[in-house]
Amino acid sequence: MNTRNVFRKSLMAASAFALCLATNSYAQEGSDKSDLSKQVSSLMPGESNFMMAGLVTFGFVNQSTSYTSGGFKATDKTNSLGDVDRYEFSPMFLWRHGDKLLAEFEPSWDGSAIGVNWADVSYFVSRGLIIRGGYIVLPFGTYTKRLAAGWINKLPSDPMGVDMAGSDFGVEFEGGFPLGNMKWSYDVSLSNGFALANDGTITGVGINAMNNGKTVTGRLALLPLSNSSLEIGASGLVGSLATPAAATFSNINSTDTKGPSLSMYAVDLNFLHNINPVQLNFKAQYSTAAVSNMNYINPADTTSYTFTNSTSSYFAQLSVRPTQSKNKVLKKLELAMRYVNYTAPKQSLWGQNYSEVDVSLDYWLSWRTVLKLGFENLKSDGTTSFTNSNGLDGNSTSINRLIIQFATEL
Amino acid sequence: MKISAKNFTAIALVGLAALGFIGINGCVEGKQLAEKNGMKLWSENCQRCHFSPSSNAFSNEEWKTVGMHMQSRALLTSNERDKIIEFLQN
Repeated sequence: MNTRNVFRKSLMAASAFALCLATNSYAQEGSDKSDLSKQVSSLMPGESNFMMAGLVTFGFVNQSTSYTSGGFKATDKTNSLGDVDRYEFSPMFLWRHGDKLLAEFEPSWDGSAIGVNWADVSYFVSRGLIIRGGYIVLPFGTYTKRLAAGWINKLPSDPMGVDMAGSDFGVEFEGGFPLGNMKWSYDVSLSNGFALANDGTITGVGINAMNNGKTVTGRLALLPLSNSSLEIGASGLVGSLATPAAATFSNINSTDTKGPSLSMYAVDLNFLHNINPVQLNFKAQYSTAAVSNMNYINPADTTSYTFTNSTSSYFAQLSVRPTQSKNKVLKKLELAMRYVNYTAPKQSLWGQNYSEVDVSLDYWLSWRTVLKLGFENLKSDGTTSFTNSNGLDGNSTSINRLIIQFATEL
Repeated sequence: MKISAKNFTAIALVGLAALGFIGINGCVEGKQLAEKNGMKLWSENCQRCHFSPSSNAFSNEEWKTVGMHMQSRALLTSNERDKIIEFLQN
């Protein structure tokens, strides 16, 4: 074997080895890339997202109730670790499909029954239009839709009278727009509506409508300041009321076949202002509900009676928190005060003039977790002459409550 | 309640003027609003109902979901939602 042949063979062997190394290296790199790609893919967000939020509230209630009736007075005292109006476990499930569809479901347990606050699906049609269908919160006022959650409410209880209109089965159209340096929003719904009960109160009809009539609810809001610190809203609700099969009421004019109807109106206001080191927040809502006049039957003696079926309620609330204080404890404290008034129709079985003064000192453990120490004074005076009524004229109820409440967003 | 022709005309004119004003300005974002960044909008809008959330409260994907939920609750404009979510995701 000559030197030339040896050199040629060595060169071929070296080339083969280099090719082999390169091939293996490429395969290894490809394999690494493939693994990395799989790992990245597993971390990449998909089109859908499912998450749970919601809220939990729990606490202690010390309550003293004084009843006055016919010159007699009785007092009742209770201590309870939570009660039906202040305990709530409400997980909220959110499913998002891309950036157009969002399904929301919030069941709620208050210690005695499981209910549903809302169960709906929203389609984000365009930048100024969201269409929602299902069991929706009606766009009437702002309290029920935005402020009722225990970790948002700065006081331990909900104000009387804000539970109307609540939730209903229907469709909703809503959106928010700029208006120069101001903003405005609209929110309109069409829903199954309500039925009139035999005592003149209103109840939801649920998923099976009892008549052809539908209820229209809407709210228009304006945020006139460029920093969005002031929001003013006006709401209206109109609709015919269903007449249940067991109804005992009738039209005042016996020849009139038209069923009862309901109209409700509300105005709301929310103002936030910083005066260093304090942040002030004022919230208020006034609402009124009127049902067309009907003849009702007194269940005690079957006599007929009527009354002007008009209800009104309002609350005004001020909260103060030194958010810019240099003291770490002080900046987490907030003082909230609220006055509530509710007037139920005179001469109805549930006629009453009701008022409430609430004060709460809150300690914010985080932006969504709060410990409240609240005191509430409630007074109710009956305004009816029916002896079988809780709202009997001359009857009065006074309640003092001390509440310690923990609330957090899940 | 009866509305006279004169009052009806006045109400219609006021209504048309309001609609015209909204129509012309309704989708126009003023300079002050347009220049606001996500942090500014986050600090201004969330606080009307509750204290402003920290960015680590949810993951980036969850913020998208929360953003859609909050847009429909507070009726934020779409621009506001997008800017606030972008701020909270970073």
